[in-house]
Amino acid sequence: MTPDPSPPPRERRRLAGPIAAVVAVVAVIALLVVGLLNKGVDTSIRDALAAGERPPAPELTLPVLVTGDGIGPVGSQVSLADLRGRTVVVNLWASWCTPCETEAPVLDEVARHYRVSGKDKVVVLGIDVRDVSDDARGFWDEFDLSYPTVRDRSDDAWGKFQMTGVPETYVIDPQGRIAYRQIGEVRRADEMIRLLDDIGAPPAKAPA
Amino acid sequence: MSRAVRAVLVALALLLAAPALASALTVNQVAREVRCPTCNTPLDVSNAPIAVRMKAYIAERIDRGWDKQRIIDGLVDEFGEGVLTTPPKKGFDLIAWIVPGLLVAAGLIAIPIVTRAWARRPRAEGPAPREPTDDEARALDVELRRHGHGDV
Repeated sequence: MTPDPSPPPRERRRLAGPIAAVVAVVAVIALLVVGLLNKGVDTSIRDALAAGERPPAPELTLPVLVTGDGIGPVGSQVSLADLRGRTVVVNLWASWCTPCETEAPVLDEVARHYRVSGKDKVVVLGIDVRDVSDDARGFWDEFDLSYPTVRDRSDDAWGKFQMTGVPETYVIDPQGRIAYRQIGEVRRADEMIRLLDDIGAPPAKAPA
Repeated sequence: MSRAVRAVLVALALLLAAPALASALTVNQVAREVRCPTCNTPLDVSNAPIAVRMKAYIAERIDRGWDKQRIIDGLVDEFGEGVLTTPPKKGFDLIAWIVPGLLVAAGLIAIPIVTRAWARRPRAEGPAPREPTDDEARALDVELRRHGHGDV
């Protein structure tokens, strides 16, 4: 007959306390490690772009603050996925951001260019971040902007676009991939239009 | 109206207004309940551009006669619940309020249990005493006799 390897019940009871204490300490350390890792800055979008790749645009659904270019009515939800098939210029902005004041008219010029030329393949979409909604609407009226904007109430877009500040602009290609990222203001409409034409153009056919 | 009567009326008006003035809501009383979204510090100690705008928002609502909770609710509506310096006492955030209390209670319950268990624990146990062998008993007798003791 083989001896029973398990400790006697009294011994087991004596070990239960220290084991529970060790489990509790390990659990607290694990929580701290998870917390510290999650605090780390995610740079996957900028890393992919730097490597010449086009990472998928984040899944985002946000309420419309100001309508335009077929996006609306106010308060309705718009998803980036709904705009698949068009090149989307996503501009993350705030009414308190000084560079946004010089950038907004430039982006409006870009939006008007594609509207006038009948190329509805491009849409400019503002995402108002970390802002008071009345201030955001006031900003739109003050600069007489014609493109639509949605509102990021609780940092959803801020987190998913891995933002570091405002303004930031992303160009999403018709396949829903991020093709370009700009930190800071867009200064020239003609440069942006050239970039958008390149991004939205169908790939050149290989020679026969 | 005589000067004396006018002085009494002014003094009365000031007396009546004093409690209202003392309890008037200030921007900082609301600002310390919320945080600046860009710098993560309490709003009352932040001067970031958005913090300045939020303080203006608070001041405008105070002027309109809003109470503190209504202004805070308005800010939560604008920026989400993450704008609060302390988590709300509802839903999942309730855990942040309950867990520390539970841990303290568990510690208080554990102290008497653990100390009682320690007090009951026998002192360090050595090997059980054994009878001396015949040789050891004889050597012991010799030693005791040498020191003037009788048989053991």
